[in-house]
Amino acid sequence: MVDVVRSGARAPTRGSFSLSQLLWAREAGVFLALLALCLFLTFATGGFLTSLNLLNVGRQISLLGIMAVGMTFVLIAGEVDLSVGSTYAFCGLASGMLICAGWPLFAAVGLGVVAGCVIGLINGLLSTYGRLPSLIATLGMLSMVRGAALILTNGQPVTVNVRNGASESVLNAFEFMGQGYLFGVIPMQLVFFVIVAAIAWFILSMTNFGFRIFAVGGSAKAARVSGIHVSAVKIWAFILMGALAAFAGILSLAFLPSGQAGRTGLGLELDVIAATIVGGASLSGGEGTILGTILGVLIIGVMRNGLVLMGVSPFVQEFMIGFVIVVAVGIDKWSTRRSA
Amino acid sequence: MKIAALMVVAATLLPLSAKADGPVKVSDFPLADRIKEKVASGKPLDIYVSYHDVSNEFAPAIKAGVAKGAADDKVNAQFIGPVGSDANAQINEIETLMGKMDGLAISSVSSDALGPVIDRVLKAGIPVVTYNTDNPNSKRLAFAGQDLVQSGREAGKLMGTVLDGKGKVMITTIDAAAQWSLDREKGVREALKTFPGIEVVKTLNTGSDPQKIYSEIENAMLADPSVTGILSLECCSTPAAGTWVQRNKKTGAIKVVGFDLLDQTVQLVQSGDIQATIDQAPEKQGFEAVDLLVQFLNGKPIESVDTGVGIYTKDNIDKVAKK
Repeated sequence: MVDVVRSGARAPTRGSFSLSQLLWAREAGVFLALLALCLFLTFATGGFLTSLNLLNVGRQISLLGIMAVGMTFVLIAGEVDLSVGSTYAFCGLASGMLICAGWPLFAAVGLGVVAGCVIGLINGLLSTYGRLPSLIATLGMLSMVRGAALILTNGQPVTVNVRNGASESVLNAFEFMGQGYLFGVIPMQLVFFVIVAAIAWFILSMTNFGFRIFAVGGSAKAARVSGIHVSAVKIWAFILMGALAAFAGILSLAFLPSGQAGRTGLGLELDVIAATIVGGASLSGGEGTILGTILGVLIIGVMRNGLVLMGVSPFVQEFMIGFVIVVAVGIDKWSTRRSA
Repeated sequence: MKIAALMVVAATLLPLSAKADGPVKVSDFPLADRIKEKVASGKPLDIYVSYHDVSNEFAPAIKAGVAKGAADDKVNAQFIGPVGSDANAQINEIETLMGKMDGLAISSVSSDALGPVIDRVLKAGIPVVTYNTDNPNSKRLAFAGQDLVQSGREAGKLMGTVLDGKGKVMITTIDAAAQWSLDREKGVREALKTFPGIEVVKTLNTGSDPQKIYSEIENAMLADPSVTGILSLECCSTPAAGTWVQRNKKTGAIKVVGFDLLDQTVQLVQSGDIQATIDQAPEKQGFEAVDLLVQFLNGKPIESVDTGVGIYTKDNIDKVAKK
């Protein structure tokens, strides 16, 4: 059944990879582009290939990466979520306020993630049973959730510290989530990203739910005929996205540790979608892999880091990043058409 | 010693150079008949105070000043404006409310975009003053706020002093192309030119998302480790620069001078990671916005009000710190 409903969708294959499979995988183009970019920056700048800078890049891409993993599910399911930047702000700030109100860490972070799941659930319900295109439903939610964050905080910055009411032990644990280092070297944000990506890879490649997402995104009609509950699959993809956006928002507040509802995560949804698309996911659904998304996030992160290291003007940086997105997706689509 | 002397001066709000605008009177202004009748009847006036982004950190303080102005002057004052710096939304809102307003105070998203609207409101016989961010492109009656170029000069002078006249300075801003940023940067560069041993190495445009601000500073400091001073032009890259200094154990080695009194900024000044920050008294600006219009409509001559700069360092920051 699975093979039938996956017609049109390009899911990763189970089983072992051979070298030639790896070289011809759809991620190969993105990987080669990343490799070329890294080589160029290594020779063009003095500071790129240092452990400090690479770990910085790792940390800087982690939050974008966690959200892009969620977006991969949504895009593969043939939908899009524009509310992720607002969810990131609302849930992070809400958790921060709970910590300042004296809540224990687990409860504050847990409730923040649950809030993200609820936002995802609403997005999912509106896009399926509500029959709204997800572009419109989540555009509305982008505004509503941002408004809710402003109402919640009254537009004031939320700073998590002892002076504002957080208990010292909770604050230490919270800050470790965002600012800490595993073994004193690897940023915790990067650790969380790797864990999230690994779990997502497992779900997408090794479980029935993963295959159903590809089936739904590849052809919703075929999936429905095959007995798959299309709406349920899409709703779960949105819930997963909401949870990951919330978790990224919480980690962001743990890192800084201050945020403001009017600025936090503003426009982030476009970065997330861009990184996911550069990694090979398709806006028309049925295509995308976690490995591709990781590479897409890395390209955007390395690019931003490298342009600053090279001393490129900020206005040129914006141009270059847009240019890379267009070229990367263009090459991918061109090569896909040729191989089809 | 020189630094200590400067820090002592910092205790109070320093008035800046007075604006060149002369006093204006309502008798010289073609006030709309409906407003004339309202003033004559003694009914409470409807004043609208439009802010360029009601979702930013300063909006609550400005709103509080507006409320105080409304209570003191016994008028109805509405605090309005777009969420996010959206010039179109600000224009649309003002156009919608034009028929109801007896006076407009405005801080423009963009001088160019809002200038014609301000002139249209004035042409309809409604008095308009600017506050917080001036709009020199318009025919506004008066301005209540900080002289941005001068506040930049003050920041530049502070940086020159804390660096003892030598070093490399990086300027950071969340929006390098915005008028307020260009004005402050101009003042900073002017002031730093008077210190021959100081070189401005770059202006870093960080964007406004907190994560991005921090990452941009982190990358830029790695790209040029010779930087010894970070001068932030606004509220939001100031605490990010201080946090970077604190986390990288560069306290004292890399000096930070910035703007405004966000909670995090106050704490970083207390810990010595930020050497000085300049406040722009947002509540006073909100109050003056309302008060100028009420005074004008009641026949008193008005002119621009300089709300000054408040310089805060480790020596006087406790005055504004939360207890």
